[in-house]
Amino acid sequence: MSQPRETSIFGELYSGYAAGRLEPGFALLVETQAALRSDVAERVQVSEAIASAMLEREAPAEMGADALDRAFAAIDQLDKGAAISQRAATAAGAGIDEVMGLPEPLRDAVLHTMNHQSWQFTTPGIRRLSLDLEGDAETELYRLEPGVTVPRHTHAGSEFTLVVTGGFADELGAYGPGDLSVKGPEHTHQPVADMDGICYALAVRNGGLQFTGLVGAMQRILGV
Amino acid sequence: MTSTAYETPKPPEHRANMAELVVAIAARQCRNSFAELFAYYAPRLKSYMMRLGSDSSQAEELSQEVMVTVWRKAVQYDPDKASVSTWIFRIARNRRIDAHRRLSRPDLEPDEPMLRPEEPEQPDDIVNRAQVEGVVRTALETLPAEQLVLLQAAFYDGLSHSEIADRFDLPLGTVKSRIRLAFNKLRGQLQSDP
Repeated sequence: MSQPRETSIFGELYSGYAAGRLEPGFALLVETQAALRSDVAERVQVSEAIASAMLEREAPAEMGADALDRAFAAIDQLDKGAAISQRAATAAGAGIDEVMGLPEPLRDAVLHTMNHQSWQFTTPGIRRLSLDLEGDAETELYRLEPGVTVPRHTHAGSEFTLVVTGGFADELGAYGPGDLSVKGPEHTHQPVADMDGICYALAVRNGGLQFTGLVGAMQRILGV
Repeated sequence: MTSTAYETPKPPEHRANMAELVVAIAARQCRNSFAELFAYYAPRLKSYMMRLGSDSSQAEELSQEVMVTVWRKAVQYDPDKASVSTWIFRIARNRRIDAHRRLSRPDLEPDEPMLRPEEPEQPDDIVNRAQVEGVVRTALETLPAEQLVLLQAAFYDGLSHSEIADRFDLPLGTVKSRIRLAFNKLRGQLQSDP
């Protein structure tokens, strides 16, 4: 590429992620994209290395005299939680192979949700799982059968959609694994899933979040 | 071994040793290894929790919980993917993610890599991940203090750029450019380009 990487403009996204200040839905988006793309992973890694170097630099606080004994006592009480992931796997039923193939941070969130919630069937060929995360942002995983058309829709706020597997195309572009599509209230679109394989896409819609000028910026990047 | 036996910054052997301790916990539930990890990390985790607003007893509880999680998840630790400090930091961060302090307006720049197609991987980018961390830490030592405090405020304390501008009484543009400069310097050190 002709663009040198050193000129990349850096915002608050990675520092907010590293320090644990992003909305959980958005943090999951960053983690999932990092699992799919080495360029995003590298920035996340550098950010976390900065944070953990700061942890090493902390002046040690004085611990209670029995602190280590209490930790061992708590360790002796462990062993109960082991059944949880098994229950999730059972609840997942037939779709488990596909779910297990998702990148790790997303897979864990899906398994956790499937403990007590099931996939919603919206229209033929489309399923959706509303992920059980804290925070104001609404986070959903979509599963699109090959070639399916998502009914035309618009968005109340901004919607960030990360393609995890497969792909889709709409009036504004074509998106493959690791690509992020950003849509705002001014967009009405009708995505069509690619023919080759199931498309999983992670969608985060902001409640409290507003990204100033982002959608406009996105349009410039895409040249639309 | 006491918790003050280590000096920062620590040599790479220190980190390799920490990794061996976690591996020993995973492989054979080694309590001596855990005690050694605990002596180093628990007091620092307590400081971290206090920095983020916990009082002393809450901070001690939280650091205990983090260390117990370290024991429980030791089998999942992969020394090729992260240093022990980074792995433990992630556990601690996830334990104390603050529902009330979320960035309500993360500042995404138009040129943000997340919004662009993937950058093609350069051959010299393919470096061992643990190695990347070592390079970042070494580069941190060479940063001027004015950049280091801003990195700490952003990446560790989790302040937004405008909060940092208020705290350090600097123009917002200066905060952004200094952080960008420092971050790209740390990243730039990873590349062998002339």
